[in-house]
Amino acid sequence: MEYQIEREEKEILGDFKPELIPDACGGGIDDYEEALHVLMKFVGSMSSALEQVSGRGANAIVYQAGKRMGHEAGKMVEKTDELEKAMQELSEILGVEFFFDMWKPTNQTEYTVEKGNETVVKLIFRDCVVRQTLRRTGLPQKGPLCYLLYGYTVGAVEEVMGIKGKLDIDHVGPNACLKTLTIKWGGK
Amino acid sequence: MVKIEIDEDACVGCGSCVDDCPNDVYEMDEEKNKTKVVKEDDCMACLSCHEICPAEAMEHKDIHVAKRLYIDRKVSGILKKII
Repeated sequence: MEYQIEREEKEILGDFKPELIPDACGGGIDDYEEALHVLMKFVGSMSSALEQVSGRGANAIVYQAGKRMGHEAGKMVEKTDELEKAMQELSEILGVEFFFDMWKPTNQTEYTVEKGNETVVKLIFRDCVVRQTLRRTGLPQKGPLCYLLYGYTVGAVEEVMGIKGKLDIDHVGPNACLKTLTIKWGGK
Repeated sequence: MVKIEIDEDACVGCGSCVDDCPNDVYEMDEEKNKTKVVKEDDCMACLSCHEICPAEAMEHKDIHVAKRLYIDRKVSGILKKII
């Protein structure tokens, strides 16, 4: 008798033809949740192992990966040199899973601060899949995985505005993270 | 607008929230030896203070609560049966 792996879930059987492309992914919320959690654990383990092997170099590797993604995503939207419009487009690129706002303390009048040939704007990331992944896998914030989002943001802004940018971490918290985006005018 | 409430009966006056807050939202009330909210408008609702407070003495109202995608419903279900 053939050995069968026992499972609680019932196997879904159906027909398949290569030319039939389904309209949606299919499956219920439980399937998505499980898939998301498995991915979170994979990515978390990968980030932790990368740090173990490469040390601080892990941040640079992940940042570069994020930056490349950001540049690719930035190609999809309209180019602009207006910061507000660029932030709007950045919010469309990052989507609801990276819900962010511009932020300023109450004693500051404008969101942007001009410093010579640089413009500085503080961004508060309220929803972040990276943060969720770190919490799922019990990893500290500000690690290599956070650099993926920094790279992604910087890459997208650089692509949209055609300038050089950098992102620094001001503060990380369980519900929101504050970052400073610095835009250097005068080309790449 | 963020509204922060401190449960003075619960606050142990350790000052962890005062040290941890990046925007100096809290100060120590030296007379009462409790935390007091001084710059509520500067709170960005990062909730680091919640995480560090040993007494869970604070409550933030009217904030963007980040999605908690990391919660495992199976584990939560088991915990609910125990607690």
